[in-house]
Amino acid sequence: MKKKKVMSLLLATAMAATCLTACGGSDNTTTNNNTTTEGTETTEGTETTENTEEAAPAEEEAITATIKVWSPSEDQSADNGNWLGTMCDEFNAAHPNWDLTFEYGVCAESEAKTQVGQDPTAAADVYMFANDQLTDLIAANGIAQLGGETETYVKETNSEAIVNSITVDDAIYGVPFTTNTWFMYYDKSAFTEDEIKNLDKMLAKDKVSFPLNNSWYIASFYVANGCTLFGDGTDNEAGIDFEGDKATAVTNYLVDVVGNPNFVNDKDGSGLAGLRDGSVKAMFSGSWDYTAVKEALGDNFGVTVLPTITIDGAEKQMKSFAGSKAIGVNPNAQYPQVAVALAKFLGSADAQKKHYELRSVVPCNTELLEQEDVQSDALVVAQNATFDTTSILQPFVSNMGNYWTPAENFGNSLLNGEVTKDNAADMTKSLNESLNTSVVE
Amino acid sequence: MRKRETASAKTRRFISNTIVHVCLAVLAVIWLFPIFWVILTSFRAEKGSYVSSFFPKSYTLDNYKRLFTDTTILNFPQMFMNTLIIAIFCAVISSFFVLSVSYCMSRLRFKMRKPFMNLAMVLGLFPGFMSMIAVYYILKAIGLSEGSMIRVALILVYTGGSGAGFYIAKGFFDTIPKALDEAAYLDGATKFQVFTKVTIPLSKPIIVYTILTSFMAPWLDFIFAKVICRADAKYYTVSIGLWKMLEKEYIDSWYTCFAAGAVCVSIPIAILFIAMQNMYVEGMAGAVKG
Repeated sequence: MKKKKVMSLLLATAMAATCLTACGGSDNTTTNNNTTTEGTETTEGTETTENTEEAAPAEEEAITATIKVWSPSEDQSADNGNWLGTMCDEFNAAHPNWDLTFEYGVCAESEAKTQVGQDPTAAADVYMFANDQLTDLIAANGIAQLGGETETYVKETNSEAIVNSITVDDAIYGVPFTTNTWFMYYDKSAFTEDEIKNLDKMLAKDKVSFPLNNSWYIASFYVANGCTLFGDGTDNEAGIDFEGDKATAVTNYLVDVVGNPNFVNDKDGSGLAGLRDGSVKAMFSGSWDYTAVKEALGDNFGVTVLPTITIDGAEKQMKSFAGSKAIGVNPNAQYPQVAVALAKFLGSADAQKKHYELRSVVPCNTELLEQEDVQSDALVVAQNATFDTTSILQPFVSNMGNYWTPAENFGNSLLNGEVTKDNAADMTKSLNESLNTSVVE
Repeated sequence: MRKRETASAKTRRFISNTIVHVCLAVLAVIWLFPIFWVILTSFRAEKGSYVSSFFPKSYTLDNYKRLFTDTTILNFPQMFMNTLIIAIFCAVISSFFVLSVSYCMSRLRFKMRKPFMNLAMVLGLFPGFMSMIAVYYILKAIGLSEGSMIRVALILVYTGGSGAGFYIAKGFFDTIPKALDEAAYLDGATKFQVFTKVTIPLSKPIIVYTILTSFMAPWLDFIFAKVICRADAKYYTVSIGLWKMLEKEYIDSWYTCFAAGAVCVSIPIAILFIAMQNMYVEGMAGAVKG
């Protein structure tokens, strides 16, 4: 009975998930036009109010309001210094004319799409989101464009790549506060500074773990050899280009990697477990595993950008998907001027610094990155170097939804030996076809 | 000659019994394996979500301790209490609904009876979560989607439609002789009295079954809890908490606590079952005599 229930629960979840994605997908195309106009209207509204507010803070009109703020639960945890609560109180103190009460909710950046999208009118006024959710948030009318002072601030204090990550049709949709990507953790006693520059050298020497059947990671090899996703990442019509000799060469290369006895696929946390017991000497992951890896490796802890791979005798740079996390404002907020000001405040250099001190959230504010204590942190350096040099912007155009499942399946086929050198060209061709075929329509 | 026959019959029986028992033992092991593994994991001292050996290298109680003391990020004790409160209300309310509807369907005759039974069957074929967004907006419209009303909303969601699941209890009531009811009517009992004084005491097993299933619903449901609680972490139920523990950011440090949480969830259900087990057997015996 219990088993049955669990089973039906699982099935139900799966069905619900497909339902949701299906709806989300079809919505995208139809509402895109509407949202642009709606978005502009909101901008105008916030822009004007905000301009007056910034110009003369003393003349702020008196407002008594309850502002709903959503963040991941770590930001509200007393153990981590209650970053959100502290910042919101400071914000309240900085605006004497505003009497604000804050209502906190829990919503991880990666969940903003579902949580806000479910009912934007009852969602938080200010929340955090991962930039790959932007298209869906815009489609759901759950996020407002930022204009005026805030827009200038975002553009001035962030690198261009980060600004691009939250820009859709030349409009800015959030105040970025950190980057989000993956890079390489390694054991310093196993590899030399020179060896970590090339994956093949590493594989020749010791065990390396890589999540090959995870679509967020596998693209890095193809991108290395000149394959592209949606042109520069924003051109929905351009589609995914994983075809021809350049992609086949990568498939051949990956067949060799899988055949290498030093290669260990990373699945269900096996890479991290391997680092702990010493059976793996390098793995690929992001800042969320930092504490665990540091603990596992101790003094031998090493973190760096992605290595290169050797394809047909030439060294090619692997490139990970990168994105950003940003603070968004709900267009349905009752007091948009307060919400926009709070978003800007939470994404400001001071707030990022505090975030870094309390929770080691890697900052992205350009001024902050130049500070010495931040510069000396290996994680910050690695993450930002990865973002700047060995990554591409993770596309968030609507057709990107077609990418994930075929890419994962292809990784599985590589691992179980279905893909061989003999059929590499055919398999790559069919991969490219399925990547460019919509599952929704 | 005769002796040899019995001897061979004995051996044959012994062989067939052995085969049956071995088969059953193998099946039992397969069936219990995952549960055993979860319990072992809940006592595992090594961190992380991936292990290379079936048995943990060292054992600890810290996972349980952490689950109930480390409450700043995932407040499991609170989720546990939320779920327990909701489950108790559900058990009471839906059992009442289910038994009442079943009694009506079994004993009373009215025009809508057949159509209603068909309708309930057809509606029951649709998965409940189909309506989740609609349910959310209805709850929002009547002001049950914010604050402490979320608990009320969840109780409503879990109990509201439970009356439609009357089929099993109705089948059971059908087996209780009508003559008993008629005797009670002759003595001047009302329909409600027949229900409470005659039918209910005779149907303990089905009551136990109904209470157990409706008590379990809130522990197992994830979708409705997620849709209705949204960002209000204070009102999360255990299933949302357990799901959170497996998120990318938490999985490495919370995985063993997740197993401990899974074990803890089964405790109230087990307690309820053990407490009601006597009734179950007793009721069964009564029913056979009935």
